[in-house]
Amino acid sequence: MTETTVPAAPQIGLTLRSLLRADATVLMRSRQAFVLNLAVPILILIVTNRGGRLGNPGFLIGMALTYGLLSSALIGYSITVARDREAGVFQRLRVTPTPTWAIMASRLAVQLAANLIVSVIVMIVGSIMHNTSFSFGVYLLMFAVSLLGAVVFLSIGQAIVGLVKNATAVNAVGRVLFILLILTGILGSTGILGDDFKSFASWTPVGALINLFSAVLNASAWGTDQTEGIIASIGYIVVFAWIGIRWFRWEPQ
Amino acid sequence: MSEAEQPTILEVQELVVRYGSQTAVDGLSFSIRRGEIFGLLGPNGAGKTTTLSVIEGLRKPDGGHATVDGEETVRAPLAVKAKLGVQLQASSFQSELTIEQIARLYAGLYGLSLPQRQLRERLADVGLEQELSKPFKKLSGGQQQRFSLMVASIHNPPILLLDEPTAGLDPQSRRQLWDRIERSRQGGGSILLTTHSMEEAQSVCDRVAIIDHGRLQALGAPRDLVAMHRDDPRVRAVARGDVTLEDVFIGLTGSAIRD
Ligand SMILES: Nc1ncnc2c1ncn2[C@@H]1O[C@H](COP(=O)(O)OP(=O)(O)OP(=O)(O)O)[C@@H](O)[C@H]1O
Ligand SMILES: [Mg+2]
Repeated sequence: MTETTVPAAPQIGLTLRSLLRADATVLMRSRQAFVLNLAVPILILIVTNRGGRLGNPGFLIGMALTYGLLSSALIGYSITVARDREAGVFQRLRVTPTPTWAIMASRLAVQLAANLIVSVIVMIVGSIMHNTSFSFGVYLLMFAVSLLGAVVFLSIGQAIVGLVKNATAVNAVGRVLFILLILTGILGSTGILGDDFKSFASWTPVGALINLFSAVLNASAWGTDQTEGIIASIGYIVVFAWIGIRWFRWEPQ
Repeated sequence: MSEAEQPTILEVQELVVRYGSQTAVDGLSFSIRRGEIFGLLGPNGAGKTTTLSVIEGLRKPDGGHATVDGEETVRAPLAVKAKLGVQLQASSFQSELTIEQIARLYAGLYGLSLPQRQLRERLADVGLEQELSKPFKKLSGGQQQRFSLMVASIHNPPILLLDEPTAGLDPQSRRQLWDRIERSRQGGGSILLTTHSMEEAQSVCDRVAIIDHGRLQALGAPRDLVAMHRDDPRVRAVARGDVTLEDVFIGLTGSAIRD
């Protein structure tokens, strides 16, 4: 047996590298979820491309992007965090000399990266399906809006795991919220539920994001809808991230 | 240097931990010397895991404190955690990772960037060379236990905290674990373990503390505890024949079922 040495606290760089590699591996191992997150948006693009357009391409691609971001960020993130907390995975990590912020930061970073990959694929498939090509600037803007949307949905996911402890309940709450957000956002922004509802919807997380995407993709002029969308998104990020961090508990029960 | 002159590696002083209105640990004090194997005994719900969770930095105490190698758990949590090797009573690893990936993750978290060859050697040391690409959950109970212990001691910590390390093991695996514990002591490391097996306490621990309702009931070498409490009427009442450590345990903590 080797001589017992007193180890010094490890370098944060090595800590983060180790966490990121592990979290990325976990995400890659759950390829099924990744494929599902991609499948629905692509289905949206295919269906809306058949037999007469159901709307302008910018709006449809924006909707597909929003859906992809919402399902992987909100549902994917909150469920894995709740499940790992319940299983005691976090407790085991917390007894190592790792700052707790690093544990979360690594998970969020990997989720964010996965979301952006989904977005890029949807953008490319979308422009092919709808026979539109976008300039590099538009791609960059779409990327920026995707980033904003992913952060909004991740902070909502964080708020869910902050307020709800039980993993089964987190799953249920996540799915209900998912449907509510999608319905108000998409139905609202199509305008079929009336103008009042439309302006209400433009303030919801999904509605705001769809507005931002379609403005970018249609290269339409910057309007109040878009300004409101950015304000709303930033507001959601601040409020939900605060709730999610303030009430988050690491312990299983 | 004789045992008693060894410096203290872990000290718990007047520790109090409450869960709401319930006091789980109630003024507990003990200390462990370098190279010592120390057993924390007590019935279910006595406060063993709770005591460990303060030392591990998972809980802040409501009173008193714990220090590891001179560092206070609340004031210097990361420095304390770097010195500890921990096997929790109930914990698990990410189920999507293989044990080789888990071992690499934990090596990194303790500041070691082990090359793959060394990592595999460590896994082979605990007889897991065939299981490298299995997830933790697919290992047998004994393999899981060996793996957790390997991860806990991956950085050669000066003290290991093992919460019921032999629960659920067959006699062979249990003996094997005792050998590993003995070997780690020869390497100069200290161990704090909890167990419900008096046989285990007697054969591996230099000293034990018996606690109940979060309070210390007795502290000393197993042999001394038996000698000291041989004539205690509570112990006599439960002994069948020669007084054993188990008789002392039941005598001091009562025979009612807990939890
Ligand atoms: N997270 C918690 N919330 C509330 N009460 C708790 C919590 N953890 C433990 N307790 C209570 O504190 C007391 C001590 O529990 P602890 O887990 O420390 O006991 P233990 O000695 O480790 O028992 P066992 O031998 O069964 O593992 C018990 O009464 C238990 O119910
Ligand atoms: Mg316990």
